[in-house]
Amino acid sequence: MKEKLEELLREGKEKILAAGTENALQEVKASLLGKQGSLTEIMKEMPKLDKSERPEIGRIVNEIKNKLTGLVEQKREELVLKASEIPADFDVTVPGTAPSGGGLHPITQMCYDLNDAFRSMGFEIYEEEDITSELYAFDKLNFPPNHPARESMDTYWLEGHDTGATNEKLCLRPHLTGGSVRYMQTHKPPYRFVYPGRVYRNETTDARHERAFFQYEALIVDKNIDFASGKIMLQSVLSKVFGREVPVRMRIGFFPFVEPGFEIDMGCLVCGGKGCSVCKNVGWIEIMPGGTPHPNVLRAAGLNPDEFTGFYVNIGLDRLVMMRYGVDDVRLFHSADLRFLQQFK
Amino acid sequence: MKLSLNWIKDYVAIPDDMDLKKLAYDLTMSTVEVEDVRPLAASFDKLIVGIIQEVLPHPNADKLRICKTDIGNGEIKDIVCGGANLAKGMRVAVACPGAVVRWHGEGEPVVIKNAKLRGVESFGMICASSEIGLADLFPAKEEAEITDLSAFDVPAGTPLADALDLNDIILEIDNKSMTNRPDLWGHYGIAREIAALYHLPLKEIKKFDASGIPAMKVEVQDSERCPRYIGAEIDHLSVKPAPYQMQNRIWKVGMRPINALVDITNYVMLATGQPTHAFDADHIKGNIIVRRAADKEELLLLNEKKLELTPDDLVIADTESPVGLAGVMGGSKDSVLPETNRVILEVANFNAAGIRRTALRYENRTEASARYEKAIDPERCEQALSMAMELFREIYPEMEIKAFSDTYPEKLVQKEIDVPVSWLEHRLGKEFSQETLTNLLGRLGFTVAFDGDNMHVIVPTWRSTGDISIKDDVMEEVARMYGYENFDGEKITTSFTGAINQLEIDLERKIKEYLAFRCGMQEVFTYPWMDDQYIHAVLGSTEGMLAISTPPSPTEKFIRSSLLPNLVKAVSENLRYYSEFSIFEGARVFFDRNYVSDYDETEKLPEQRKHIGGAFTGDYKNINALFRQAKGVLENMSRYTHMEALHFQQEIKPVWADDVVWLNLFRDDVKVGDFALLSKKAALESGIKNNAVLLFEIDIELLKPFTSRTNTFTHLPEYPLMDYDLSMLVEDTVKWEEIKDVILSKKKQGSVLQSVSFVEEYKGKQVPAGKKSVTVRLVIGSLEKTLTSNEIEACAESITKVLRKKLNAELRSK
Repeated sequence: MKEKLEELLREGKEKILAAGTENALQEVKASLLGKQGSLTEIMKEMPKLDKSERPEIGRIVNEIKNKLTGLVEQKREELVLKASEIPADFDVTVPGTAPSGGGLHPITQMCYDLNDAFRSMGFEIYEEEDITSELYAFDKLNFPPNHPARESMDTYWLEGHDTGATNEKLCLRPHLTGGSVRYMQTHKPPYRFVYPGRVYRNETTDARHERAFFQYEALIVDKNIDFASGKIMLQSVLSKVFGREVPVRMRIGFFPFVEPGFEIDMGCLVCGGKGCSVCKNVGWIEIMPGGTPHPNVLRAAGLNPDEFTGFYVNIGLDRLVMMRYGVDDVRLFHSADLRFLQQFK
Repeated sequence: MKLSLNWIKDYVAIPDDMDLKKLAYDLTMSTVEVEDVRPLAASFDKLIVGIIQEVLPHPNADKLRICKTDIGNGEIKDIVCGGANLAKGMRVAVACPGAVVRWHGEGEPVVIKNAKLRGVESFGMICASSEIGLADLFPAKEEAEITDLSAFDVPAGTPLADALDLNDIILEIDNKSMTNRPDLWGHYGIAREIAALYHLPLKEIKKFDASGIPAMKVEVQDSERCPRYIGAEIDHLSVKPAPYQMQNRIWKVGMRPINALVDITNYVMLATGQPTHAFDADHIKGNIIVRRAADKEELLLLNEKKLELTPDDLVIADTESPVGLAGVMGGSKDSVLPETNRVILEVANFNAAGIRRTALRYENRTEASARYEKAIDPERCEQALSMAMELFREIYPEMEIKAFSDTYPEKLVQKEIDVPVSWLEHRLGKEFSQETLTNLLGRLGFTVAFDGDNMHVIVPTWRSTGDISIKDDVMEEVARMYGYENFDGEKITTSFTGAINQLEIDLERKIKEYLAFRCGMQEVFTYPWMDDQYIHAVLGSTEGMLAISTPPSPTEKFIRSSLLPNLVKAVSENLRYYSEFSIFEGARVFFDRNYVSDYDETEKLPEQRKHIGGAFTGDYKNINALFRQAKGVLENMSRYTHMEALHFQQEIKPVWADDVVWLNLFRDDVKVGDFALLSKKAALESGIKNNAVLLFEIDIELLKPFTSRTNTFTHLPEYPLMDYDLSMLVEDTVKWEEIKDVILSKKKQGSVLQSVSFVEEYKGKQVPAGKKSVTVRLVIGSLEKTLTSNEIEACAESITKVLRKKLNAELRSK
């Protein structure tokens, strides 16, 4: 009897450990401990035993029962944790379904990235309307009366509003800078604001020239700003937008509304400044004019240029986006072509 | 503008070991943008001078010859050539294997290889000037003419670049970067900058001495438009080619050599930036008069263009008629002709704005007018005159100056500017000693004197015509000479200000992000001008629209008063590649009305509103789903973007809308936009056949952002809520809103009906004609207890009863 029981415990252990599924384990359990199970069968022989042996055997039976039950439970836990109800041939390499496919225009994305960067430095966002007068597009920006940019071959004047005094002549704004005068006229210094928008030029279009394109101006006006301070501001903004250190250099440039004026170049990110076709082998890409607002511009805004000075930049958004993604035709931005736009998420 | 480095070196001794990359870099940083630095000789690689020893007939071709050609080092090569002028002893340009040429001066460049020509082996090729890019320098007189270089006494085998003095560096300057610097439009001006940048001496041009020459009669009637006029009558001249070096230089920087008389004037302009002109003196009747043209007075220009002048044009005239358009171009009457032997040399200064107006009026911009437009200082006339006279003397030793005059009534006043040094240092963020300032500015020709804090600056004449006029201009000169790169820049310190809170700006971004990221729409940009076809299709008329005077194209004159025509165009164009998509655009629209300005009372700006518009397109068959998708976008917009709620109402049908499917959008009682299906007619006229297009357009300036997020919290239900679906048959004219209102009429104080929502609508085979099946979902539950199924059924029963009574609804299932 004792031997039988020991044999049962050994076999039972093996069977339990060998069970590969929950169902198999259930069967093993039934075969050992169930109503027709091996242990029950052995127990049926109990009455045949000598009375003195019964307590001892009873104790062993209980012990084996507990051991096997414990093993089954342990095994069950193991199996449940491992279990899958899914057939093993389930294909996990099938692609997922994409979320709905909308997106912002890559120029809007760049604009928002810059807005976030500038706002984190305490800049306000300002917007001016697209149609402006010659007074604000040119006069207040220190453009001489005969400046070529004022002519219809450069600027889109509006029919019926293309003659007369400069406050009556209307055009689609050729640049944003006039808007900064509007801002300064209606706010109190010191100023820290950015000013994104679309501008228009009467030009022949090609892969690098557009009639409608986007600019992004930033202007600080305060009492204590020296002329190179803006370089640090620009460097930090560009580095944030591009996610890495972007070298910036300022060189001489002439624009009627700044004095001194700069051309601001950023290190070519395509070749890392070594020279490539994108940067015409110079390692730098011209991205914006900048400078200190011309005293006449500050005067036009009602400020005393001996008291206030500032730093101004005008970032070409289209060019920056072209740089960011390697887009080689500026005309794609206004094409509304989804094959192009859906590449930018 | 192209510049020759050798030419610049005439005026400033640039060291031979100067790193040209650095020179270009320094000029770019401090003066003008150098776009290219190109060694000219590179394009003449493997081209040498050969001497023809013998010209033999070609056995297989009448027009070809075999030239035994000495190519140096005692090597004689056979070269097959079709030139008509080949002769023994001639020096010719030989393209050795590896050289690059253009066949007959046309087409793509080709690399020369050894080749057999009609059965005869040929080493390279003997070239015509047009084949190696020298056509302007050595113009061919006849066809099939080989360029005769016999005038260049060099041994056979000499590289062509050495023989023809082509070892030069060409600097290409971006003209845009020097529009404000009239002093830089010539080699001397750039030499002056280089001298200043590198502390090098600048060569002075020897002054012409006019003493003892009889006076020439010149009458300047408008000295405002012509501040200075120098005339010199020179005799014993002739028309002949200029010396090779002069031709070579003129050609290298992009002009064409013509004859010595014309070349001298061009050379002087390219050297000094001061245009000059030579008239044939024999054709001048009486004397030179500088005057305004009479109205409709005629002038035939050198280029045979016939002009009818206006009184705003300044002309050079003789006593009979105009002979030239001042500062722009000479007339045909008095141009230099082959027999010319006596000229009147003009070195004059003209008012910039006047020249610009005239050049533009006749679309006749020239090298001269381009320079005058920048405002040249009148003092430069002397420099140009001196250089011209020296050249005349050199080329025509026998020449005689018969008469001379210099009309210069009002001498140019040099600008004088006071610059407080403390101000300069404050602005530049750096301290400068008086010595440094004197040195930096002195090198540029400024005279500097100090009196306490004040720096008194006298501007050189060549910078005194508007370029340098205020102290800020002087600051720029100091900064660029010190080097922009040498200013580190200080971190900007500003005072702490309140948080930026721009609700309208943020709302626009929230709406765009909602449409793009939550609703799966793609943002697009289109131009503000619209194609007439789409204006007509979508809006029907151009009433109230503004137009551009010089539009991008004749059919794109009108600028948008609505975003929809361009959105429909974008839909139409994208349907070539996609069948289902949704797009949106945010931009300003313009109306020819309500002219005001918030900024200036004298300014009158038209009404401009910021709109956002969208388009959804898909198959017509799925119009129901498409409609619900689009409407859902608008319904949920205010919830997600935190602005005052919008609601729909049918009040004014948009012109472009379908007769049935249209709604207006309202915030309170303010109409803020439209939402509708594009009418079939408008779609067809826009080239859209099988697709339904749903459009919306909202004036976002009429939307009201909340000042903060507006979610409300309600406690989670303590007792279970039950979803209870009801399907019913109703007349197909019954609207969802009516069903909803009837059901909600049972939602009273203490009732167990919590809410109702739309599930689906069905029309078709399983439903009798004239009816539709509508499924709704009721939410039933109590806040006080768990409802029994009887209580739930009772609620549903009361609702079916009222639906039956009010709408004749027939319950299908539950």
